[in-house]
Amino acid sequence: MIYLDHAATSWPKPEVVPAAMQRWFTDVGVSASRGAGDRCQVAARTVATARAALAHRCSSDPAHVAFTSGATESLNLVLRALLHPGAAVVTTAFEHSSVVRPLAALASERNLRLEVLPPHGDRGIDLAAVRSAFAHHRPSALVCTHASNVTGAVLPAAELCALAREHRVLSVLDVSQTAGWLDLRVGADVLCGSAHKALLGPPGLGFVAHRGLQLPAQKQGGTGSSVALAQHPDHWPDAFEAGTPNTPAIFGLEAALAARSEATERRELAATLATLDAFAARLEAMDGFRVHAAKTAERTPVLSFTHARLDPAEIGAILAGADVHVRTGHHCAPWLHEHLGTAAAGTVRVSIGPNTAAAELDFVADLLAGL
Amino acid sequence: MDRYSRQHRIAGIGQHGQERLRSATVLVVGCGALGTHSADALARAGVGNLWLCDRDVVEWSNLQRQVLFTEADARAGIPKATAAATRLREANSDVRIVAHVAECSATFLAALPGRPDLVLDGTDNFPTRYLLNDWCHANRVPWIYAGATGTEGAAMVVRPGGPCLRCLWPDAPATADVGTCETVGILAPAIAAVAAFQVAEALKLLVGSPDVATGVFTCDVWRGHYTRLPLLDRPSPDCVACQHGQHPALVAPAPMAATLCGRDAVQIDPGTTAALDLTALAGQLAEVATDLQRTPHLLRFTADGVRFSVFPGGRALLFGVRDPLRARALYDRWIGRRP
Ligand SMILES: Cc1ncc(COP(=O)(O)O)c(C=O)c1O
Ligand SMILES: [Zn+2]
Repeated sequence: MIYLDHAATSWPKPEVVPAAMQRWFTDVGVSASRGAGDRCQVAARTVATARAALAHRCSSDPAHVAFTSGATESLNLVLRALLHPGAAVVTTAFEHSSVVRPLAALASERNLRLEVLPPHGDRGIDLAAVRSAFAHHRPSALVCTHASNVTGAVLPAAELCALAREHRVLSVLDVSQTAGWLDLRVGADVLCGSAHKALLGPPGLGFVAHRGLQLPAQKQGGTGSSVALAQHPDHWPDAFEAGTPNTPAIFGLEAALAARSEATERRELAATLATLDAFAARLEAMDGFRVHAAKTAERTPVLSFTHARLDPAEIGAILAGADVHVRTGHHCAPWLHEHLGTAAAGTVRVSIGPNTAAAELDFVADLLAGL
Repeated sequence: MDRYSRQHRIAGIGQHGQERLRSATVLVVGCGALGTHSADALARAGVGNLWLCDRDVVEWSNLQRQVLFTEADARAGIPKATAAATRLREANSDVRIVAHVAECSATFLAALPGRPDLVLDGTDNFPTRYLLNDWCHANRVPWIYAGATGTEGAAMVVRPGGPCLRCLWPDAPATADVGTCETVGILAPAIAAVAAFQVAEALKLLVGSPDVATGVFTCDVWRGHYTRLPLLDRPSPDCVACQHGQHPALVAPAPMAATLCGRDAVQIDPGTTAALDLTALAGQLAEVATDLQRTPHLLRFTADGVRFSVFPGGRALLFGVRDPLRARALYDRWIGRRP
């Protein structure tokens, strides 16, 4: 199989990831802080190492990093913790459903006002429009993705977060698409991310990292701490970690983080982008194809395309017949397609990983050339 | 006055046979033309328990031959099994009727609350017939194959120990080869003729008569030919099902249907990898589908108001439907696939 859906979830994972998970199942089997035995100590150490590694990448204190079941849970918990009734929120048309849907739900539950910024030019977003939205709507938060999961555009996160700080607006950055590729130290107040994409970790694990905010628990339950109290702890990270954690996934992520330095990530990103650019250039030269790829200086290795005569779903089925796995449709980005002109049927998305071979994309381009 | 008095005067039935009918359970798979004809006859004959199974809804083009449905059913798009059950209860309130709005799959059959005494084929496709064949053989339940297209029909009783459908045709024929009611049409009396054979054999089986017909009944009502081919008085020694105990249709992966996120479209993955002859299919559909378009990579056509894109591996996209069950019914009707 030629796997071109790394923006949904990366595959295959580095061998150390399933190996670490297997080690948990065979040698450990317990959670950190659920007992005092040696194996609990091993679990506690590995979880602490993973937490510290994430904290380092996010420029947070480990005490401000919580594990969740995924970026979806991270975003839900954070938005619920932060947004008060009647608040205004500035967000962008690039957002994933895991931002759009919680915001839409809160908009009706808590009477939020949403200001959605459209895509703009080569930087993805118009900073002047952000400034005027901040001045005009006086939002309590900017909620925004670091990169589009449809076009690979990376938004100017550092400028956005600086502007937000200047206007006393909290910044919440969804780094699901960039963690594992880009520097996440862009000055956001809260980062929400996922282990199973470019970080090359297992699914079912995500994180929240913040800069010492008051983020009250949104779910209550066992934490292995404060067990004598009927009240859920309000100290971090326990506040956000109710219930038995996904320790085998944390073992997997810890191994993935240890195996790949940030310098390696940057190097791999540059090489991967070069591979994808060659493919994009071939597509653009072919009759009937329209490529929707980022023009931003920073990008992730993701692009979308459409075809003049074939529905994206038809192209997906033809490629599947040749054992090529791409993603077709709207990619959980409900707002963006209006702006791309692809609202009716979405796009075909090609997203690659560090091990995608140029020859694989050549094979796909040859196939597409024959349509 | 006994409503069955005319029936138990038949020597082969009698009071005793009538009692056996009353305690019998029959599963009718498919409530189309054949299924409604046969279910109507069995309900009126006093078969005590009827289980009806159909996944589709009543449509306008059904009314020409599917006897239990009304214009109101078609307008409201009532599920066929539900509409048939309502009509049959009006015809005979003594019969316990259970309507299953479901696809007849291996899972569905396995989940039945018990074993029926008999299964009647009222389907319009071979994949389901091969499933019935294999399930009935595995569960030692008799079934009666029947089918009609154009002006012709065929039917056969399959009993435990006797020859089965796979003895006759080891593998299901391709839709493109046999045609369907959609591609070659269907004349109502062809249905009535095979239904008459199916119901008569059903009654004989249920009352334990020794006179159950063997061989294959065939007819062409336009030419006035009605014959019974004495083929197969014993199972074929090579038959995988009844001689080698294998039941391919019970283990074949069921086709998957998934609604495309945010779209009015369903994707069907047939679950088999056998190639589909798109050119032959295009030939079959030429007269009956519209917007037919064949490219090296796919076949597109419009039928029943739905746009189809079919791919060489049998995968298909149906644009203009949301309900996966309905999409699978349309897939079997217009494309078909043979496990
Ligand atoms: C931009 C973005 N945000 C959030 C998510 C949700 O992540 P998770 O699968 O970890 O819940 C995804 C991917 O699915 C994504 O691409
Ligand atoms: Zn046989």
